Amino acid sequence: MMKRPLFLLFAAVTACKVEYHPYDTRVHGERNINEKNIARIEAATEGKQTIRFAVISDTQQWYDETEKAVEALNDCDGLDFVIHTGDLADFGMRSEFERQRDILNKLHVPYVTILGNHDCLATGETIFRMIFGSPDYAFTAGEVRFICLNTNALEFDHSESVPNFHFIEQELANFPPNAKKTIVAMHAKPFSEQFDNNVAKVFQYAIRQFPDLQCCLNGHGHKFTIDDLFEDGVLYYQCDNIEKRTYLLFTVDEKGYAYECIAF
Amino acid sequence: MNASHFRQAIAFMLCLCMQTALPQPSADNWPAPETKQTLDRRVHQGYESWERPLPTHVKAQYAGGMGFLSFGAGWDYGRKCRWETDILIGFLPKAYSNRTHTIYTLKQNYIPWSISCCDRFAIEPLTCGVYLNLISGEDYWVREPDRYPDAKYYWFTSRLRTFFYIGQRFTYYLKSETLLRNITLFYEFSVNDLDMVSAFGNRSLGISDIACFSVGIKFQLFR
Repeated sequence: MMKRPLFLLFAAVTACKVEYHPYDTRVHGERNINEKNIARIEAATEGKQTIRFAVISDTQQWYDETEKAVEALNDCDGLDFVIHTGDLADFGMRSEFERQRDILNKLHVPYVTILGNHDCLATGETIFRMIFGSPDYAFTAGEVRFICLNTNALEFDHSESVPNFHFIEQELANFPPNAKKTIVAMHAKPFSEQFDNNVAKVFQYAIRQFPDLQCCLNGHGHKFTIDDLFEDGVLYYQCDNIEKRTYLLFTVDEKGYAYECIAF
Repeated sequence: MNASHFRQAIAFMLCLCMQTALPQPSADNWPAPETKQTLDRRVHQGYESWERPLPTHVKAQYAGGMGFLSFGAGWDYGRKCRWETDILIGFLPKAYSNRTHTIYTLKQNYIPWSISCCDRFAIEPLTCGVYLNLISGEDYWVREPDRYPDAKYYWFTSRLRTFFYIGQRFTYYLKSETLLRNITLFYEFSVNDLDMVSAFGNRSLGISDIACFSVGIKFQLFR
């Protein structure tokens, strides 16, 4: 007779979360999301002339809106993948990254995430690396090479190379033969307070070396803007934060690219 | 169960409720108890003279945002020892963080009731309180580092966390009148300030999403 209440108590206790500290790094659930999803994106878009992807950004603390965004993106026709341009967490706590991952995992298409400045707070960067992966990475979707970079220089206080020119140089040297175009994605754009503005022009020069640079994508500003920051024709598309209930939808084909800002 | 049984059951429950709801008879017209033991057997004795600053108990706790394990001492006060203040030091090993951290906690507890059952056991059906903790390490700040352009670039402190908790305790009173008087096992559900901010702003985030479980043991010393 005693077994049932004991079992219920045991079940209740095991269902509860145990937290050593809000900033501990005991990640529960799936890890290495970006690497796994890049493999899915590359396999699904191989040989495709036209690709369609969505950009969402700055979902920190807006869990309700992020859920709505996932629902809206799941209703979007012909979508190949989603890019999150950073700031999944607001305080850098483990639970924030896990909650965001669990919501974004409901997407029917694969997604990748970029490191935001809020994601770097306290142990945030360590947790980001565990759950999502390296802050600098690249992948090929159809004929487009996506270069995703950590640009939150202010958070690293010169302790690391941000942006990582060594990585950019390696990517230039090893540009895959099946890719013909390039899109660069980041969290904070050049001339924002997070960017290392001493190297802003050098950065722009470096990314312009990539074959047929289409445009740049960024978040951080919490406001949809399109800027020709260096007056060189390279447009920076800054995505709204998710609170504004919009996402950007890009279609890249052999003629070029088109974008839409879609409210949900 | 037929209708008359059901009515009887309802009547019995109503009687029980009224008994508890009505004011209890005073000690004068209440039949003299066989033993002087009351339901809440806690008595605050306290130390005398120079011994006053001595802690009345020591504690160890697992998790609860205070580290993997935390250890500390505390003082109880109030007529029925309803209030307790603890100072705990917790450890977060490198295996669970980017490096080993020490966490210093100041904890205030309120234990309104104690219910004796059996000879030596007591249940404290509700404990609640608040604790403040400070984590060591250069990754955390109280005041933002100077590199940020505004004084309030981020609006929160990552080093200092406030937690609120509720829980229960189970106490075993020892026979001997020695150093150790009783041993208490307790569990708590705690939430931290930042998670509470998130839960207030999001319908999809409930208390079960932010509450964390922890367990501990308390040894009452001398008094």
